[in-house]
Amino acid sequence: MPAAGYRPNLRRRIINDWQIYVLLLPAVIYFFVYTYLPMYGLQIVFKDYKFVKGILGSEWVGFKHFEDFFNAYYFWRLIKNTFLLNFLNLIIAFPIPIVMAILLNQFEHKGYKKFTQTAIYIPHFISTTVMVGILYLFLSPENGIINYFIEKLGGKAVHFMILSQWFRPLYIATEIWQHAGWNTILFIAALAGVSPEIYEAATIDGATKRQKIWHIDIAHIMPIAIMLLILNSGRLMFSNVDKTLLMQTSGNISTSDILGLYVYKVGLAGSPPQPSYAAAIGLFTNVINFVMILSVNFVSKKLSDTSLF
Amino acid sequence: MSMKIAPNQSIRIKKTKADRIFDIVNMIIWVIILFIILYPLWLIIIASVSDPDAVVQGEVLIYPVDFSVMGYEAVFEHKELWNSYLNSIIYTVGGTALSLIVTMCAAYALTRNFAGKKIFNFIFVFTMFFNGGLIPTFLLMRDLGLYNTRFLMVAINCVSVWNLMVARTYLKINLPNELYEAAVLDGSSHFRFFLSIVLPLSGTIIAVLTVYYGVERWNDYFTALVYIRDRAKLPLQTILREVLATLQTSTSTDAFFSAYATDTAGMTEAIRKAQVAKYCCIVISTAPAVVLYIFMQNYFVKGVMIGSLKG
Repeated sequence: MPAAGYRPNLRRRIINDWQIYVLLLPAVIYFFVYTYLPMYGLQIVFKDYKFVKGILGSEWVGFKHFEDFFNAYYFWRLIKNTFLLNFLNLIIAFPIPIVMAILLNQFEHKGYKKFTQTAIYIPHFISTTVMVGILYLFLSPENGIINYFIEKLGGKAVHFMILSQWFRPLYIATEIWQHAGWNTILFIAALAGVSPEIYEAATIDGATKRQKIWHIDIAHIMPIAIMLLILNSGRLMFSNVDKTLLMQTSGNISTSDILGLYVYKVGLAGSPPQPSYAAAIGLFTNVINFVMILSVNFVSKKLSDTSLF
Repeated sequence: MSMKIAPNQSIRIKKTKADRIFDIVNMIIWVIILFIILYPLWLIIIASVSDPDAVVQGEVLIYPVDFSVMGYEAVFEHKELWNSYLNSIIYTVGGTALSLIVTMCAAYALTRNFAGKKIFNFIFVFTMFFNGGLIPTFLLMRDLGLYNTRFLMVAINCVSVWNLMVARTYLKINLPNELYEAAVLDGSSHFRFFLSIVLPLSGTIIAVLTVYYGVERWNDYFTALVYIRDRAKLPLQTILREVLATLQTSTSTDAFFSAYATDTAGMTEAIRKAQVAKYCCIVISTAPAVVLYIFMQNYFVKGVMIGSLKG
């Protein structure tokens, strides 16, 4: 009977290691309260939640909120906007840090390299509020510097922040400006791992810098890049609420409205707020993201043994 | 012999020529990249110390015009702004300290072998992939009486699973099991081992976590937007949102900065100052994070590398 022998052993192990559990306790409490307890409140997606009645007292309405959402005219718009924003951002922004890391790796002067690295990481530390604030300042039709130059060159001032066709380009451009430099770190680390002998051998064989980049650097970076690309594609339906909320104006709403932002607007900022309906949209989004991450993780495990968990 | 050297030399010259062209092109590319990254930052700094009229007329492009600190004066005189600055310091320092303690304790525990380790690991990692969502979390915080409290601003987002895994990986690599076994032989408990051996050896990872958690909190505006109602409790970034990142920037900013004006002349002057005060706000709000980064940059890069070793 292994079970009988196992029990006292397990109990003794737990008692022996009680200090371990004490050390874990604060983190467990935090996650219990902040992540697991709210899952109990998810039942409101099947109810008509009223603030005065509370979670338990509100009436059951079944799948009404989901049906309303799937039939709403903005349903496909939200899906499309969320996906397109992430997808375009991924394919446009993704290669840039790789190219930057390869070019930076060619610096022979240590001081210049260090300075450049320090400089390109800085925008990563600017807050979203300030980033979007800079957009409003620089792109202002009255006294923004961009429109100043457009008008100097004979053009007409462009109302960038209220034109829907400008939302995605501006979103992606600022993502690149803020994070492309920071995202070079991983690739620079990968390139630092290439043994110098390989470069020396290539030099002796008469390879130019361009050939060395093509045959050595890119070959070394490829596996990491593909992994990252696969893992990032698990986040194609995520919402950057912080940034889209700041960039959204009444003019660009047709492109800037995304799932997570809509949840916030309907559930908390709306008048009157519709918590049940918003929570239902939130749950729908969470489930999509969960499934996407699981599938992406499955794919990456199959391909290369690398996975998130 | 000389016949052999000649072609070799010619190849070598050709080679360096191609490489030299590459270097020049590379340099030009980097000058452009650095310009794109640094010029907007420079523009903000010089605008913040220029005369408002010069800024509005687009004269401030390369260096400050009619040097003045009136924007900073307007910012320093604004009580609500300073109050929010103080709030941000409280939330950032308190929150980061709490995060560090909770994260380091849990990270150490996860490096040991104990019954149920897999379960705890799962409890933590699962939160990266699924949670109740914004609305149920908000309702719970409100039911717990944490809505509109400073306690919530300090305690929320206390542990990031990503940071926890980075810390765990660091401890695993830097604290060989033999060290623990030796300590146990000496009769050391987990607590004593953690306090007197693990923590003193964790300077690097504590620095990494401090900057990660600290910058994250300093830059957060959304939490307060959702959970704080009293303006007196708002952090800097949430106030900045009103001043900087709304479409009606000019009018709302004017109203914001002329709030303390007593007469029409004072009002006009305040509105004039507001033109540069916006740039000053950017400088004083961003400086702490950027300065912290520049001092700690070596640690920072290390943190990303540890994270990439697999969480």
